Amino acid sequence: MAARDQHGIGAPWGDAAAGDPANRAFQVVGKPHRKIDGLAKATGRAQYADDLVLPGMLHAKTLRSPHAHAMIVAIDASKAKALPGVHAVITGADLPIKYGVIPWTQDEHALALDKVRFIGDEVAAVAAIDEDTANAALKLIRVEYEPLHAFLDPRESLARPEPKIHEESKTGNVSKHVDLAFGDVDAALASAEVVVEGDYVFHGTTHAAIEPHCAVAQFSAEGRLTVWSSTQITHYVHRALAKVLELPIQKIRVVQPALGGAFGGKSDPFSLEFCVAKLAMFTGRPVKMLYTREEVFYCHRGRHPMKLRYRTAASKDGKIDAVDAKILIDGGSYSSFGLVTTYYSGQLLTGPYHFPTYRFDSTRVFTNKPPCGPKRGHGSVQPRFAFEVQLDELAEKLALDPIELRRRNFQGDFTRTVNGQRITSNGFLACLDEVERASGWRARRAKLGRGRGLGVAGSMYISGTNYPVYPNKMPQAGIQLAVERSGRVTVFTGSNDIGQGSNSMVAYVVAEELGMDVADIRVVAADTDLVPVDLGAYSSRVTFMVGNATIDAARKLRTQIAGAVAKEWQIDAARVRMGNGKVFDLDSTERCITTAEAFQIAEARCDTLGATGSYNTPTLGGDYRGGTIGASPAYSFTAHVVEASVDVETGRITCHKVWIAHDCGRALNPMLVAGQMEGSAYMGIAEALLEDHGVNRFGLHAGPSLLDYRIPTSVDTPELRR
Amino acid sequence: MRVLHLLINGDRVTVAAPEHWTLLEVLRYELGLTGSKQGCDKGDCGACTVLVDGKPVLACLTLAALCEERAVTTIEGLLPAHVKSGGSGPDPVQAAFDECGALQCGFCQPGMMLSARALLDRNACPTRTEIQDALAGNLCRCTGYTQIVEAVELAVAKHCGVAPRRPGSARPRGRSRPPPRRA
Amino acid sequence: MKSFTLFNPKSLGDAVGALAAPTSSVKVLAGGQDLLTEMKEHLVEPDKLVNLKGVPGLDRIEFTAAGACTIGALVTVGALEEHAGVRERLRVLAEAAGSVGSPQIRSVGTVGGNLCQRPRCWYYRSEHAKCLKKGGDECFSFSGQNKYNAILGGGPSYIVHPSDLAPALVALGATVTLKCSTGERQVALERFFTLPGEGDIRRETVLRDDEVLTHVHVPAPAAGMQSTYVKFRERGSYDFALASVALALWRDGARVKEARVVLGGVAPIPWRAKAAEAALAGAAFEAATFARAADGAVQGAEGFGQNDYKIPLTKGLVQRALQSCG
Repeated sequence: MAARDQHGIGAPWGDAAAGDPANRAFQVVGKPHRKIDGLAKATGRAQYADDLVLPGMLHAKTLRSPHAHAMIVAIDASKAKALPGVHAVITGADLPIKYGVIPWTQDEHALALDKVRFIGDEVAAVAAIDEDTANAALKLIRVEYEPLHAFLDPRESLARPEPKIHEESKTGNVSKHVDLAFGDVDAALASAEVVVEGDYVFHGTTHAAIEPHCAVAQFSAEGRLTVWSSTQITHYVHRALAKVLELPIQKIRVVQPALGGAFGGKSDPFSLEFCVAKLAMFTGRPVKMLYTREEVFYCHRGRHPMKLRYRTAASKDGKIDAVDAKILIDGGSYSSFGLVTTYYSGQLLTGPYHFPTYRFDSTRVFTNKPPCGPKRGHGSVQPRFAFEVQLDELAEKLALDPIELRRRNFQGDFTRTVNGQRITSNGFLACLDEVERASGWRARRAKLGRGRGLGVAGSMYISGTNYPVYPNKMPQAGIQLAVERSGRVTVFTGSNDIGQGSNSMVAYVVAEELGMDVADIRVVAADTDLVPVDLGAYSSRVTFMVGNATIDAARKLRTQIAGAVAKEWQIDAARVRMGNGKVFDLDSTERCITTAEAFQIAEARCDTLGATGSYNTPTLGGDYRGGTIGASPAYSFTAHVVEASVDVETGRITCHKVWIAHDCGRALNPMLVAGQMEGSAYMGIAEALLEDHGVNRFGLHAGPSLLDYRIPTSVDTPELRR
Repeated sequence: MRVLHLLINGDRVTVAAPEHWTLLEVLRYELGLTGSKQGCDKGDCGACTVLVDGKPVLACLTLAALCEERAVTTIEGLLPAHVKSGGSGPDPVQAAFDECGALQCGFCQPGMMLSARALLDRNACPTRTEIQDALAGNLCRCTGYTQIVEAVELAVAKHCGVAPRRPGSARPRGRSRPPPRRA
Repeated sequence: MKSFTLFNPKSLGDAVGALAAPTSSVKVLAGGQDLLTEMKEHLVEPDKLVNLKGVPGLDRIEFTAAGACTIGALVTVGALEEHAGVRERLRVLAEAAGSVGSPQIRSVGTVGGNLCQRPRCWYYRSEHAKCLKKGGDECFSFSGQNKYNAILGGGPSYIVHPSDLAPALVALGATVTLKCSTGERQVALERFFTLPGEGDIRRETVLRDDEVLTHVHVPAPAAGMQSTYVKFRERGSYDFALASVALALWRDGARVKEARVVLGGVAPIPWRAKAAEAALAGAAFEAATFARAADGAVQGAEGFGQNDYKIPLTKGLVQRALQSCG
């Protein structure tokens, strides 16, 4: 049985409230540990997608649209096909089936079928003996376009339904509209003692993982397709490949090699995965495609630009009465996760502050720009920015300390949000206290001189979404454990380690549960031929969901082993303990064997050892259309204080220091949690101060390079204190 | 094509490569030394950083043909060199990155570690500011650089015989970066 | 990158010989930190590269007893930055060198390459935009994205010259040696760079295709020079200047005797701010003078939208440079 509903209230595991008493004194969990793949990465041995070389491998390149919006009248690839060294050229007609990560909004083609929707949209792909030949072939492909009006301003897309960017749309150029109200917002606004309102703009930003997207495909003589891809969603890519290529899914294998960063930027199926597969099928040879840095900017899927309008009503003592939001979301040219983004823009704002009434009206429109999608903190960052600024305006109006205002509106723990989401433990107040203390807020705020000051913001985010992107009742995360009589356990997991350390996390959990050394755990991950399904590394779901599945499997295995050893020793199984690489009798600790000996006893008594574990979510969410979007089995909370200054002569804003406090539940490895806190704070500062993913008046990306898209260097990053 | 006589990680190797290939292409695609990463191919990220005659250079902006008779060190060369010089296991910089959690996705790190190695080779006890300056040509998107700088400091501390801090703990106080040297 | 043949001359004569009457497109390769990016972006696709690395004598920094300095074109930016004599006597140049690119780029990029590098305007660098500099008929920045473009000396192209060394060297009154197979000429660096309105719009300098920039000569500065380079950029590494100021200053007690003020990042050439220099010459070394010099520096400056900020920014930097000499 899946570990469904076991982790509803209280910390998911290990605490007195929910945990196994035997597990309370942790040996592995809660301590800093090296990552299991740390040295492989440190020595250059880890293999990333572009490090793979297969015998006879061809190199593929993509031809991209020079128009922001145009019909494709004709494509002539005959000259390219005739170029020596070219093995295949494919166009939209070769991959006519649509896909998209969200099943209800599938509007993408691997290669444009009859129209292009942004500068950089994929039009054709070439496989050749080397990259130079493939690039030369691209220049020989003649495409005749009939340009259409290009929508670059989301307000225009809202106002003008024609020409439609997606012909099949029933709502003009609107991608998704969500309008939800909870309680009587108008009445609360009308009777409020104070109302603040304002307009806010959040510009576009992108992930800029240092590894560009890359995929390699091999199609075997038996008709089996293998795709190695730099993806964070092996499972969804697996499904998408089966659909688009019309291959039985069991004949497809998707493998995620070591991954060089993702941040949400590799959580869609991408054109290159389909193209290398099709080209491998056409040519009978392995095919690799590596995007250039420029192409990575075109595939984008980054932070949606938003125009947001908020009104907040409050009492004179600072208690929020109502929040009213109207949001226009620039989606770019395709849907991607946009349906979810539109909901998240409203649904995820309802903590950590209590809203008695709340309304949001969010509209995502299509524009002829690189498609937006999920980026770290998907859909919640832009509204959070606007609302936290509005809270500061409210504090100013009421002459209240901004931290005090936030405290007064704390929603509490073990409660429900206004939109029906279940909140369990909630450490937001502790986070506020910590950053207030650490920053010297009370002594220093507003006393740092003109142009320098402290600011605070709080937030909440999900730990995975309660529902998979395609409806099904199977577990969200599955784990298999294989036991080797030498004392080694191998964990098979579908989860995608994108640098966050999920492969290490499952090893820590197994080591903890079985009392083993982390070094004796092996992990096989993200290979659909070898591992049970996991939905992927997105929505901050992996540690919670895959971690719980791992606990489930490890405990089953422990029960099996302890039972066998108990029988061998003729004692009660409750007396058998596993720890420090040993198995011992709790009542007579001199009776002690190695883990390997215990495995051998168990194998002799129970046959070959192994266990599976799963995690699935309990039923959660509000009882209304869309009420399940934003529902999560657990939420994390955070508060940050930033010290910043403005140079009035040059206009430079400098962020000097950031104090970070985060309630993530129990930190399985505090060192890795610190890395996530620092990395996300760094990324947030960069979005605020440096980065801008924009296009010019023709829709051409304004600087698709890591020189023009400015991500901070080591000398630009402020001191981050966790 | 051109026949190149290279000195890679202490080995003399002869390879034939197209005239216009960069050092990065020869390392990755001819010699199988894929530890040097391609992040941008335009000199904007530093992931391809290798040492040429001990100096960090961008392999993507260096023609392989210009590296003949020059000592090239890639990430694959650090551990063997450390062992050869009497050490055991990985180079102290690599060990410190592992110990401090500085490796998240790991893609920028070979270049980052080589920049750090070059710094420590010319300055065994750099300050935090010197470390940050030396790494300013290596973009990292995961870490916010904090644990990376801590890792280099740990390697320095071990080298200089100072008691290293426990990884994962808060950074020491009172050593914050002075105001950036810029307008 | 398109393939090419690589020629490795062992003498300067052979190098310039290869440039004389070429039968195909030839480019001179020094550090390659700019040229290779242009080749990768298909902005230039030479058939032949003349590699100067094997040419002896171009990688030295030499001071005469009188204090004049000759810098070989192949001296790396990093070597210039670290050179004790340069740091001591030509501070503006050492500071400018230290602000170039990234540590990796400084360890390979050369002085000659830095002076001859091509614009960084992203329209120019984009394969998709056929701008004026590439034989098109529009400078897209004028009505497009122009945050990084020129406020002085622009038109019909509004690129800014990206070099940090150039403003410093112009402030120091440097000249350059340009050599071809039939001889050589000395050109004041200030006249080496050309405005888009006065020369070939596809070039930024007077360097001919058959010439190589071999040396930079910095005359011995008059006694008592104070100098500094102040660069403003968004990131502390990699970035080119949004605006920069190279200042060389001579004082006579509380008065300014003479000053050279050269701006970077704001004009298609290193911009000699003569009105600022005039405001400084003979004036009291004090805040009011700095303010007048700042006004003078941006005399005639004009923003066209997103680059308007460069005007107050430049004024602020001029004052800051002067203050730092206090």
